[in-house]
Amino acid sequence: MKTTFQSDKKIIQKEIILEEQKLILKKIRSFWGYFRTIANSYSEIFFFENFWLGLLLLAATFIYPNIGLSGLICVLSAYEFARFLGLKKIFRGSGFYTYNPLLVGLSIGYLFKLSLFSFFLIVTAGILTFIITFGLANIFYHFFRLPVLNIPFVLISTAIYLASYKYSNLLFTEFKTWSFLIDVAEHLPIWFLGLTQSLGALLFCPHFIGGLIFLTVIFLASRILFVLAVGGYFLGLLILSFLEGSIYQAASNLGAFNFSLIAMAIGGVFLIPSPKSYILAALSVAISPFLLDASTFFWAQYGIPSFTLPFNVVVLSLLYTLGLAGFPLLASYYRGSPERTLDHYLSYLARFPGTLRTLSLPVAGEWTVWQSFDGSWTHKGIWRYAVDFVITDENGQTYHGDGIYLDDYYCFGKPVLSPVRGRVVSLANDIEDNPPGTVNETQNWGNYVLIYDERGFYVLLAHFRKDSIKVKEGQWVEQGQILGQCGSSGYSPQPHLHVQVQLTPELGAPTQPFSFVHYAVLKHNSLIYKANDIPKEGELVQGLYPDKAMENMMSLVLDQEMTFEFIVNGIPQKQISFKVHMDTDGTYYLAQKHDSLYFNKFEGTFYFLRHDGQAIWFKMLFLALPRMPLVYQKGLVWEDFLPLETFYGRVKRAFYTFLASFNHRLAEIKGIYEFSAPNQIKGKISQGGEEIKTQVILDSLKGFVQEVVLDSKKYKLSLRRLS
Amino acid sequence: MKEPYEKPLIKKVQVGLSNKFGSVYGRHLRPEIDGVPISDLVSRFGSPLFVFSERRLREKYRQIYQMFSTRYPNVHFSWSYKTNYLDAICAILHQEGETAEVVSEFEYEKARRLGVPGSEIIFNGPYKPISALKRAVQEGALINIDHFDEIYDLEDIAEELGNSIKVGIRLNMDTGISPQWTRFGFNLESGQALDAAKRIVSGGKLILSGLHCHLGTFLLEPRAYAKAIEKMVDFAYELEDNFGLKIEYLDIGGGFPSRNRLKGIYLSPEIAVPPMEDFAEAICDTLLSKLKPNDFPKLILETGRAIVDEAGFLITTVHASKRLPDGTRSYVVDAGVNILFTAFWYNFKVELEEDIPGPAEPCIIYGPLCMNIDVVAENVQLPPLPRGTRLIFSPVGAYNVTQWMQFIRYRPAVVLVGEDGQVDVIREAETLDDVINRERLPERLVLKMS
Repeated sequence: MKTTFQSDKKIIQKEIILEEQKLILKKIRSFWGYFRTIANSYSEIFFFENFWLGLLLLAATFIYPNIGLSGLICVLSAYEFARFLGLKKIFRGSGFYTYNPLLVGLSIGYLFKLSLFSFFLIVTAGILTFIITFGLANIFYHFFRLPVLNIPFVLISTAIYLASYKYSNLLFTEFKTWSFLIDVAEHLPIWFLGLTQSLGALLFCPHFIGGLIFLTVIFLASRILFVLAVGGYFLGLLILSFLEGSIYQAASNLGAFNFSLIAMAIGGVFLIPSPKSYILAALSVAISPFLLDASTFFWAQYGIPSFTLPFNVVVLSLLYTLGLAGFPLLASYYRGSPERTLDHYLSYLARFPGTLRTLSLPVAGEWTVWQSFDGSWTHKGIWRYAVDFVITDENGQTYHGDGIYLDDYYCFGKPVLSPVRGRVVSLANDIEDNPPGTVNETQNWGNYVLIYDERGFYVLLAHFRKDSIKVKEGQWVEQGQILGQCGSSGYSPQPHLHVQVQLTPELGAPTQPFSFVHYAVLKHNSLIYKANDIPKEGELVQGLYPDKAMENMMSLVLDQEMTFEFIVNGIPQKQISFKVHMDTDGTYYLAQKHDSLYFNKFEGTFYFLRHDGQAIWFKMLFLALPRMPLVYQKGLVWEDFLPLETFYGRVKRAFYTFLASFNHRLAEIKGIYEFSAPNQIKGKISQGGEEIKTQVILDSLKGFVQEVVLDSKKYKLSLRRLS
Repeated sequence: MKEPYEKPLIKKVQVGLSNKFGSVYGRHLRPEIDGVPISDLVSRFGSPLFVFSERRLREKYRQIYQMFSTRYPNVHFSWSYKTNYLDAICAILHQEGETAEVVSEFEYEKARRLGVPGSEIIFNGPYKPISALKRAVQEGALINIDHFDEIYDLEDIAEELGNSIKVGIRLNMDTGISPQWTRFGFNLESGQALDAAKRIVSGGKLILSGLHCHLGTFLLEPRAYAKAIEKMVDFAYELEDNFGLKIEYLDIGGGFPSRNRLKGIYLSPEIAVPPMEDFAEAICDTLLSKLKPNDFPKLILETGRAIVDEAGFLITTVHASKRLPDGTRSYVVDAGVNILFTAFWYNFKVELEEDIPGPAEPCIIYGPLCMNIDVVAENVQLPPLPRGTRLIFSPVGAYNVTQWMQFIRYRPAVVLVGEDGQVDVIREAETLDDVINRERLPERLVLKMS
């Protein structure tokens, strides 16, 4: 009795200690978030997010202590205000909402000497800037799908500078900095001084050391941004000096940092880095000098700088236009640096070509695509997103015999299966099939079935055989359920099946893009798996249906734990355990300490999505099994494009991504995979001179994989399942 | 050219048993096989000679595969080795995508030797020796259990290997045809099949994941297959619902007819044998209507004869002719039932290499064996054939080159006419060495002759 009591007490004590530890951890974490937000407010000005580089920037602003301090105060006050409003969660360590207050703070520090009064001004300006940023960001996004950039900064700083005429008692008399720096500056070439000083002026440190630090930081964060910043500046400078007739005058224009900002924003941030984005960046820089001069001149009437106004005007108007034009290279998801965005974009675009309107092939066996999207006969205009299927023989003919009877056609009378689950909205079943070579022009669609998919679209299947439709209006159908038989009713010169997706239930409504999931293309005797794609005209396709056993095998249950042995060149190194977790957005990942490997099962395919951290075993899994069809078909081959970050180390990756921004194909790392046996997948990844052979043995009893082997010239890595 | 002399004879022409359809008379000529003249083949490889056509084989497979695969989304063919296990024939069909269906350790080993991985072999049959069974399990073959003793054997093996084994069970059932093949597998109607499933589940070592059945051979009734599928699907769902297992495949076996003419059937095969489409439709339509939506267990077909029979020809040469006492004309050819085993139940199509003039009359063709049963064909309408005439028998692609025997004579060569007309020997003609290699003569019996 006593012992149990004691042990109870011990347990309670332990729990208390644990609770305390948790509290401390929580505090540390919130402090960390705090620091990150502050530091990132600095790096965000140059379009990236990086804690350490942000800290470096913060330090650099203290070249003029007065400026640095007022900047910091302004950010802190904005942040504290946001916390007071309970908006802490929107930050998540990002500096997105606080870099405007920072710039305002720096601008105030540039103008006013730090004192009790200016302190008051800084704090209130910080709060106001946050309010304006938060509101404007919402308005810009909601109405224009545009970022707010640093319009709040331009507005507030302009206001404060105008108001400052009344607060002349607070004005600064002279800049104080460490004097030895001034001597060095006199020996530097004018172009260098111009570049560094104007870049420094962005953070209100119009000093070459400040600019130099900023340039270094940009270089460390992103080579693409660095090239854009420097290139943008010199291009702008060139045009400016040409217009003004003097390089000295041009180089001493502190507002020239606008060129760098424009080039960076257009060339690398809001557009996917590519030759096209670079050309647009150059063009935007080219149109900005007179804007800069005009605004400088105008604002100078009131004795204030034009700040980043030209940048905001050029970038926002261009982005809005590109958005309206549907420019394909607009970056929809900025991942913190142009390099990462590019890598993500390249691997994402190549890996997931399909849409979210996913259909399974509505037929069984091998069919030929007679007409696909933008087909040459009838898939035009508003009906361009449609696919026609027929069956052909080895000679490419759709019939045997003479082809004068409907029965001669291979596809005539073959079952049509529902490509989605949904409700049958309407159908026709009593229209005669046309003899081959003739069409019914009054009832274009012939016998058809229109199904409403609850994901918000309608699927139309047309030209069914007369009286073959087995479903009824209003009936719920499951994917793969038999609907009827392929026929030749309606505008159909030969038996075929027509499939399209539309947003409204009328016959003849405009079509919408869609894609087929989980099918194979037969090409040169090999069977190429497509997870989500649209087949091209003339392609021989075969629908695949997920195998329940395989789906179960690749089901990873939350909290499931597995242990592997990591082996290098045949020598066991260590044991590692992974556990299945769920992220806040509902995605699942394998975790081992701080490293995580995200995975997903979508429409019959298992994917690894991305991995965070540097764990070699997660890279191995990703490289060996970036995706896997959940159906076994002998000799089934598929390809996948691997993110550079999975394949290369840091330095090589930086180099390749930089190159890839000039030619996207340089960053294509293609892996080709094949089922060599029902539970074995062999793959080959080649890029440049490197080649890696991969092999995965699946575990049909325990689920997931049993063994992963990566074999290259230099090493042989394997993971062997222990439990 | 001088006409050969023929002794004059007056005889009433009688065409076997009379039937209301009458007989269709037409001279059948086959001067070549896939463009290779018969005379070339014989001069290069001798007579008799089995000839297989790669083009016909591939075409037939693709045709039949398309018939099924365009009607049901998960169809797999498994090549029935016993129908024809010549390496070249198997290799062609494996290339086309068939797995191997074997019924003995010999066939299993032959398939493995050919390069078929264990995981692509279906192991059927009533007699699976423990050692063969164990190898098949270790190599991941799909095993369809025939009887309770096999369940026990497999459980022992599972225990020994420390692994669970995925298995299927073979069913037999009433599908309205006779004879019912009740000797194989577990009977469905009597509840034996359910007992077997219960036994497997309660044993805990085997995972029941498939159902197999094989109704019979040369079946002419598509509805029998529809019935079988119906019963199998019902049984599969009964198992899934009661035991929480997943039936991953339904193996309907084979037994589909080829365009051959069974003895006792007077109609020509074009009329009597339902087109393969009818079988495909019966099976697949029943599947699609009986299965739950989006549940497509693998449909396995083990069709042998329907794929290979029509790809095989046998070239023979007339060695002699004689009149039987009842007046019937008869011929002796160089191939007998020793190598043409299916002659016991088929009336083959008999074709001439070239047109030969003269009135046709019903003839009987004997093989070279000194045995009364050696009748290769009866009631064949043939003109008077000179010695040395080539007769081409077809279809002979199924079962002959597996069931043939070395009896009295050597077995002849088998050649394959490739898709672009090249001819390869795929089995050499036997020689004395082949026969005596396995023989051992005790020293004391060695004949002492000078």
